[in-house]
Amino acid sequence: MARQKHVQVGAAAVLFAAFLYFVGIPYGITAPTNIQNIVLSPLFWPTILAALLAVAGLALLAASRSLPVEAGEAAEDEEAWQPGAGMRLAAMAVLMAAFTLSATTIGFVWGAMIAFAATALLVKTRHPVAALVAAVLVPLVLYAFFAHVAGVAIPQGELVRLP
Amino acid sequence: MSFLDNLAQGAAIFTNPEALIALVLGVAIGTVAGAIPGLSATMAVALTLPFTFSMEPMTGILLLLGVYKGGIFGGSIPAILIKTPGTPASSATVLDGYPMAEKGEAGRALGMALYASCTADFFSNLALILFAGWLASFALSFGPPEFFTLILFSLTIIAGVSGESLLKGIVSAILGLLLATVGLDLVYGTNRFNFGDPNLMGGLNFIAVLIGLFAIPEILAMVANPHGIDGKVRGLGSDRVHWSDYKRCFVSILRGSAIGAFLGSIPGIGAAPSAFLSYSEARRTSPNRENFGKGEIEGVAASEAGNNGVAGATLIPLLALGIPGDVITAIIIGAFMIHGLQPGPMMFILNVDIIYGLFVGLILSSFALFFIGGAAIKLFRYVADIPRGILFPLVLVLCAYGCYAVNNNIFDVGVMFAIGWLGYLMMCFGVPAAPFLIAFILGPLLEDNFRQAMLMSGGSPDILFRSPITWTFWSLTAITVAAIVLTGIRSARGGATASGTNAGS
Repeated sequence: MARQKHVQVGAAAVLFAAFLYFVGIPYGITAPTNIQNIVLSPLFWPTILAALLAVAGLALLAASRSLPVEAGEAAEDEEAWQPGAGMRLAAMAVLMAAFTLSATTIGFVWGAMIAFAATALLVKTRHPVAALVAAVLVPLVLYAFFAHVAGVAIPQGELVRLP
Repeated sequence: MSFLDNLAQGAAIFTNPEALIALVLGVAIGTVAGAIPGLSATMAVALTLPFTFSMEPMTGILLLLGVYKGGIFGGSIPAILIKTPGTPASSATVLDGYPMAEKGEAGRALGMALYASCTADFFSNLALILFAGWLASFALSFGPPEFFTLILFSLTIIAGVSGESLLKGIVSAILGLLLATVGLDLVYGTNRFNFGDPNLMGGLNFIAVLIGLFAIPEILAMVANPHGIDGKVRGLGSDRVHWSDYKRCFVSILRGSAIGAFLGSIPGIGAAPSAFLSYSEARRTSPNRENFGKGEIEGVAASEAGNNGVAGATLIPLLALGIPGDVITAIIIGAFMIHGLQPGPMMFILNVDIIYGLFVGLILSSFALFFIGGAAIKLFRYVADIPRGILFPLVLVLCAYGCYAVNNNIFDVGVMFAIGWLGYLMMCFGVPAAPFLIAFILGPLLEDNFRQAMLMSGGSPDILFRSPITWTFWSLTAITVAAIVLTGIRSARGGATASGTNAGS
């Protein structure tokens, strides 16, 4: 498994470096055309880093050949990846995206309450009542602190506004 | 007047109860603010600044300095308890502090963080008082080439925090350096990976990246495997740091203090690189180097000594030259100006009473930190008792609030989540996060100084070898890289021999 992870990380590094070199840097960076010395160009540093990433990726691929396949690590991975983990992680991704995108419409505090309760559900809390109480109180207390003590303008949303 | 006469004049602060109360209050405010992720020491100092307008200059400035010092220590509390550094300076404390909390030694880790912080803070204040003039003149001889070689040397820390695979650590560091290139190019002002989005023009928010990289992956790991750790309540263990622990870590604390005092006296370096450099040096020289990253108390001591060692020394360029060493001292310089004071060489002549009053106040702040920090630990350490099923959602919400509060920008929350997923993927594939963060911090400094040096020399690399300082750092870098390569070859040979022996048997 150590070997497999080395190969995967090495291959990903090489592919990402190639993507940067051929797509990311040419299309993602704007450089003035009148630069005399390449060292001063905005392209120079990212190009060097992309090359280094490719070299490091290739070195990982080369190093993986001398690594043994360890059965113990496979068991550890299986333990870390429980049934339904993919679905829960997907739900968490949706939750994070929804929280970020809806904070200004439904309000940061209400979004945080939903996020708290949903995360407690996803991590299968053994204290559901306490989690529910905390889901309501913690965002309110944090709102009170950040809005009224620290002077941070927490987004209120368009539904229910807090004092 | 002699130095001792000036110091005696500064001791008049003891007859000024307002100043003493402001100092203690400042340390308390800073410690609490530092312990709240997202509400960094910088933000706490900025928020406190308006309250100082109506105060006496000495009282107001001591209040701000207290907040600063408390904030730097306070950041270590959530770093140890919930793997979320309260301030960027506490990033290195996570590496061993959190594993200690996982082992039920949260109290011991927090205790060592406090002792190391107070020792380093005291040392840093002494450095400020004794070497302000000398260190300031030495720091002035650092130009872009010297900074570039210093930061390049600092990047060799990556070898110390890469864990089992140096190559994966290097990949992680390169990704961090690449992420640091996002934003407007500092020389030409052109777009770099920001695709015209104004949110990305200033680069990615450091706090969002920091929280995303350390706190969010833990939450995602918990979501993937809820029963693996749910319901476990970590014992606090003993909250006492034994004299033997302190004695064992004392060399690392002293070294970290010296590193902090030196780097703090150079404008623009900051506490986070100092903490990582101190950690790396402790790991390099410790007989327990194998335990670093797995819950070694010396790692906590070194990190905290490194970041607190900066606190007093950042005032060296501020007071001696009028140059702010970091963002916080830039805010503090504003407080000086509001009160009609101009930090710099003339202040040592015109306002010597204030200068030495501040020196004495700073020494007192180390003791205030000791008592207030101890009380804060007792208050905050119960976080370790919260069941994971409630703690992790709480951390998620706290991170979201903290991340938003830095710039009042919801985009930063999105960045935090995105970096969290990247951190989770890295965790799954055994790619260490620490090199990524170190490179992300040092990347802009490295590139900016390199390009400034090239601009100065018209593109000639000779400038990178222009002075004994650059030669010293080049030599240190070469020696460190050679040592890393040799260690790698030895361990590979050792591994091959062990495999051969196993195969033979």
